[in-house]
Amino acid sequence: MIDSRFWWVVLLGLLLSACTSPQPAPVEEREVTRRVRAPASEESAGVQVYPLQNPAVVQLMEQADDAERSGDYATAAVLLERALRIRPRDPEILQHMAEVKLQMDDFEQALSFAVRSYDIGPRVGEICARNWRTISVARDHLGDAGGSLEAEQRAGQCMNTRPPSL
Amino acid sequence: MKKATRKRKAKAKARKRGALRAAVWRFSLFLSGVVLGVGIPWLAWLDYRVTDEFEGRKWDLPSRVYARPLSIYPGRALTAQDLLSELDASGYRQLSGAGVAGTYDRSGGQFRVHRRSFTFDDALEPALELEIQLGAAGVTSVRRLDTGEAIDLERLDPAEIASIYPLHEEDRTLVSIAQVPDLLITGLQAVEDRQFKHHPGIDLRGIGRALLANIRAGKAVQGGSTLTQQLVKNYFLSSERTLVRKLNEAAMSLLLEWHYDKPEILEAYINEVYLGQQGSHGIHGFARASEFYFATPLAQLQPHQVALLVGMVKGASLYNPRRNPERALERRNQVLEVFAETGLLTATAKEQWQQRPLDVTRRPGASANRYPAFVELVKRQLRKVYREEDLRNRGLRIFTTLSPSDQARAEVAVKSGMGDLAARGLPESLQAAMVLADVSSGEIRALVGDASPGRAGFNRALDARRQVGSVIKPLVYLVALEHDSDFNLLTPIEDEPIQLRQPDGSLWAPKNYDGKSRGSVRLVDALTGSLNLATVRLGMRLGVQHLVAKLEQLGVEVDVEPVPATLLGAVELTPMEVAQAYQSIAAGGFTVPLRSVTAVQTPEGRTLQRYPLRMLPLERRDAIAVLNYALTRVVTEGTARNLPQLMGRDVRVAGKTGTTNERRDSWFVGYSRDRLAVTWVGRDDNGPAGVTGSNAAMRLWARLFSGLPAESVSLDMPEGAYWTWVELDPDARSDASCEGAVQWPFVSGSEPKSESPCLARLERSERKSFWRKWFDR
Repeated sequence: MIDSRFWWVVLLGLLLSACTSPQPAPVEEREVTRRVRAPASEESAGVQVYPLQNPAVVQLMEQADDAERSGDYATAAVLLERALRIRPRDPEILQHMAEVKLQMDDFEQALSFAVRSYDIGPRVGEICARNWRTISVARDHLGDAGGSLEAEQRAGQCMNTRPPSL
Repeated sequence: MKKATRKRKAKAKARKRGALRAAVWRFSLFLSGVVLGVGIPWLAWLDYRVTDEFEGRKWDLPSRVYARPLSIYPGRALTAQDLLSELDASGYRQLSGAGVAGTYDRSGGQFRVHRRSFTFDDALEPALELEIQLGAAGVTSVRRLDTGEAIDLERLDPAEIASIYPLHEEDRTLVSIAQVPDLLITGLQAVEDRQFKHHPGIDLRGIGRALLANIRAGKAVQGGSTLTQQLVKNYFLSSERTLVRKLNEAAMSLLLEWHYDKPEILEAYINEVYLGQQGSHGIHGFARASEFYFATPLAQLQPHQVALLVGMVKGASLYNPRRNPERALERRNQVLEVFAETGLLTATAKEQWQQRPLDVTRRPGASANRYPAFVELVKRQLRKVYREEDLRNRGLRIFTTLSPSDQARAEVAVKSGMGDLAARGLPESLQAAMVLADVSSGEIRALVGDASPGRAGFNRALDARRQVGSVIKPLVYLVALEHDSDFNLLTPIEDEPIQLRQPDGSLWAPKNYDGKSRGSVRLVDALTGSLNLATVRLGMRLGVQHLVAKLEQLGVEVDVEPVPATLLGAVELTPMEVAQAYQSIAAGGFTVPLRSVTAVQTPEGRTLQRYPLRMLPLERRDAIAVLNYALTRVVTEGTARNLPQLMGRDVRVAGKTGTTNERRDSWFVGYSRDRLAVTWVGRDDNGPAGVTGSNAAMRLWARLFSGLPAESVSLDMPEGAYWTWVELDPDARSDASCEGAVQWPFVSGSEPKSESPCLARLERSERKSFWRKWFDR
């Protein structure tokens, strides 16, 4: 009796674990794509305002991209942290980290990295839109609906502000 | 008759024989009883010990602590001196033209480094020969030597900076038989036990041979012990020489061989054998010995190095290559001879290897306690998560943030700086501490806890809790700048005498450093000149409790009383706590807990724990950005104005000096864009030391930063603050084109309300031109 019940439990466990196995969602369905990257890229019509990367950082960013695509966010975060050791104030790396943290459901840190990226970044163009959209999504998950809405509006203004040097 | 007697005699004989037989029988019965009753339990007991020990053999493995690996990429700021100091810390030896991992060669700015293979906290990297070109500004190119391909990014295997040992003090790195080089496996047998493959645990022929040799020589010159016997001896038995022990050893060897196969026994031997001593720690096993003598993993040893280790089995202290190099060399060459005799090396190879020096490192890979202050910090951070015994026994691989080259610079700065202070007439008994951290990541790069940096013991960087004096003042001004409707950097404040009643009822009348009061001063000048009266008046107006709250916001978890004297730094903090508070400011208002550990792995390289970068943005980053500018003015016009000359370089840094009553403590906190350092100088007994912030601690700081890569502090303002043009006396908003206009940063809304006449004129003409354009269309 006990035995058969035991095996049912095991079987159920196996089935459940099959359901929850860490299959990354297809790229186009992920929240970070849907709510951050796609609209930011659309709004900015490709206007990117950040300095050229050095090749070491490019290599780490590419590896982080690969890790992120395969759903290995922890590795992506480690690689981005290595990139930040090389360029600690690079708004692009900081924003990338924010988006990875978003996917790790670490909304507090997603918010922190996006804010840092905005603070020392160009505050205009696509990266600005991604900053505010990340802030919006993170605030949303942290239960700050008002702040989330405000951040979304800020994302829309990233193309209105004329960059000071242009 | 004769017949009868003969018969009788025969009968008697037979009776006698029968009696003898019975006696023999009875004796053998007794004997087998003894054997059964004593021998069998004895054997069973030995068998139990052998199997129990062998099956359950779990060696306690010390934890290894690694520095941060040095990343190498074109564009990296790196001097030849720093690269050499990193290579030295990682146990690299200079050797020309040898294809040996763990060596480098240099000609001018060109370095050829043969990196060892290493399991980093995120990946295994293979051994690789690199050519690194250094120019005046740092790395100009990196190439693989095998393919000639240019490389964007590589890293060196990190220095092993410490081990955390088991309490019974055995130092060991485990290795599986598959990772052991063939030459070690075969060579060990050739030298110690040629019949290993064939004997059942003891080698009778070997014993006979040894006996003959010993008789011939008249003394014990040869041992007939097999590897199995040596292992048993190490494992289970004391070193006394008795017959019982010999019997036990033989029986246990036979039993060990009966239960386990040869590779298992050899693997145990290779991990167990005693090969040296470091302080109170025995060096056990070939793998650890390889790290200890050559700073190289066992798998990467060259034949002459294998020969040295095999030779040391005979007597680890007798043939210690560091203490008795000549004897060790002789023994090594003997062993190489045996390798050649037994066909393991060709005669020419043997001769080549015999020509080589010992090739051991000057000092052990992780000399007992090379970085005592930093390693203490590592242990404290880990003890919050791991039990002491796990730290000591589990063989954890601990990845830390220490930069060996920065640490070397910090140690030189403290040592030479203290000598300099003594030469300037300051007391000899002064102590010092230094903390160097990355601004953005909070990673501790160097830590010095004693004026003699190598000395373990009282760690002043972590434990010297001392009054901070004026180092606290910027926090008072930060609170003021947050009150943006009342204060900006130019706001006049009062620098007048003041008397305050203390909690104990006594009156407190602070004075300025020079005893004078200046009447009305601008906020920024009160800060850069570190004026006590102005600061106390400002702080009392704002409320001392705001200062206490600010300390807490900046990540300092210390109980501070909100009394007036707190405004002048009557607060006791450690250098680490001061570094934590200033990290937030230097990073523009992003608090990052200072860290010394980034990851912890199992001995197999599985990650147990990561300590990732985490940050927390403070609310008023606009005010912090304005404060940062004011702190750069401390260096250009204020109490630290000698600093640029002491540093001898043109880079914009920010900082604050601190001196306490009767010149007991000297503090300096300063930062470039990416690095922050805190220095403290004072006496352990807290007695008057004749020090001020700028005459002692700042000098050590300058020595450190004169050689570190440093970028100017960024003066970009975040949202909520901006740079604008103003005219002074009377203060008014102005324009770049106006005469006498200067730029200052303001928190939005705190800028002067009035317009200068010049700005007003400009705006009128702009309005006109606007209408003119309108009509001209």
